[in-house]
Amino acid sequence: MTGANRPWLLALPVLAVVGAFLVAPYLNIVLMSFRVPSTTQAYAPGFTLDNYAKSLFDWLYIEALLDTARLAVIVTVSCLILAYPVAFHLARTTSRWRGVLYSIVLSPLLVGVVIRSFGWIILLANNGVVNQALRSYDLPRMQLMYNEFGVILALVHIFLPFMILPLMGAIQGIDPRLEEAARSLGAGRGTVFRRVILPLSLPGIQSGCILVFILACGSYITPALLGAGRVHTTTTMVVQMLDQFLWPFGAALALTLALFGLIAVWVFTRLSGRAMRGMA
Amino acid sequence: MNDRVTSGRLALGCAIALVYIFLLLPIVIVVAASFNAGQGLKFPPDGFSLRWYVAFFTSEPFMDSLRLSLAVAVVATVASGVIGTTAALYYVRHAGRWREVFRIYVLAPLLLPEILTAIALLFFYYQIGLGTRTVVGLYIGHIVVCIPFVFLQVTAALYNLPPSTEEAARSLGAAPGVVFRRITLPLIKPGVINGALFAFIISFDNVSISLLLKGIGTTTLPMQVFDYLRWGFDPTTAAASTVSILMTLGAVVLVDRLVGLRTVRF
Repeated sequence: MTGANRPWLLALPVLAVVGAFLVAPYLNIVLMSFRVPSTTQAYAPGFTLDNYAKSLFDWLYIEALLDTARLAVIVTVSCLILAYPVAFHLARTTSRWRGVLYSIVLSPLLVGVVIRSFGWIILLANNGVVNQALRSYDLPRMQLMYNEFGVILALVHIFLPFMILPLMGAIQGIDPRLEEAARSLGAGRGTVFRRVILPLSLPGIQSGCILVFILACGSYITPALLGAGRVHTTTTMVVQMLDQFLWPFGAALALTLALFGLIAVWVFTRLSGRAMRGMA
Repeated sequence: MNDRVTSGRLALGCAIALVYIFLLLPIVIVVAASFNAGQGLKFPPDGFSLRWYVAFFTSEPFMDSLRLSLAVAVVATVASGVIGTTAALYYVRHAGRWREVFRIYVLAPLLLPEILTAIALLFFYYQIGLGTRTVVGLYIGHIVVCIPFVFLQVTAALYNLPPSTEEAARSLGAAPGVVFRRITLPLIKPGVINGALFAFIISFDNVSISLLLKGIGTTTLPMQVFDYLRWGFDPTTAAASTVSILMTLGAVVLVDRLVGLRTVRF
């Protein structure tokens, strides 16, 4: 009954639910992206390539796509720089605080994206905590949100655990005796890091970067809240299209972003794979 | 030389400490803001007060959204728990030639950008005539995005359970149903419960799916907070956020007491 005689029964629920409510909707959205937009109904009769032409050749949308990519790259690199020392420390420490520190890394994951963005709004708003502190010291007000800075800062915070965890895994997998051997052969700390630890942790760097880049490209909530209409990413534009009922064009724009993300990851994997072979 | 090494290590230590502070800061700030007595935000704060909690618990819209959030999270947890567990059993014990394809298929909701999944579901619901007049679509969306988390946890638990345990029971004459109930299920229970915990948190905190699929006139708690934030600052949202954080924390502590979280795999 539980599948000894008919094991495919176990696969049935997931095949049905994911098939009906993920595969079918995605096929539908692909079809939708070739429809003719209409403001009075979901789409007008006929098929067209115009939606893709507009997504790929209209400067407004190219600019949004490039902005999204630039934002995602800055977020990824910042996460990597902040995460590496923490991951290294966490992977190697024998301190009895290790458990506590590990929960600090995980704790942001338990708090929703909206709430974490909210925390940054309280800190960065024009009359937020930081600016009020500045004013009490008679320092000039700083524009910390409603711009890219605020969006980037909040996104780095939100995705940092996704960088720390794979890095930590990779560094834990490096045999500490390799470092000791290099040290005993006369290598300095810097050299050991550059020649031993860094090359061996590259797989962790690779998976962390891919994860954060993809998540940053697809993020909507944080740019919407901290950018408040002044920072345009492809995702905020897609949601705008939905509000204006231009569904086929919104679909094409969203799929262009997804495709772009996939291509970027593919290129990155090829390049970093070559770097890994070169360094190993 | 030695001095330089120590000061370098000190600097690195400080940098690491700063990152930890950075990770906690916005969460601490939200909780602190919820206890602030003043109408607006003040630094330093105006004093301690619970008035925003009173405002939260007496607010009709916030209570409605909290109820809907809990209902959706519970349904999504149970449904994705069953679907994810059966899928994991099939994948680890029975899948043949197509096992890797099957794995990607089950993990697809996690691999695809959530906002794109929400858009695809929205269009699909309108195409099949379901629309967003009811919250059924919202429930289904949450179930779909929760399945991979249960699947990953249960798969890990099953890999730690040698098939020989089940074979032993079977060779001693136990029927397949009995083997599952008395042997397999108790042994993978921690994995199932951890997966359910993930599903609950993912659903309870979800915004991307809820943003597009919420029914007309209904909304979930994170969506309510999102809407409030878009139209200005109201300390009630800080109280709402703190309650939401306490609820996820409560779920984590409960599961830790039940099975111990050391078995969780990331």
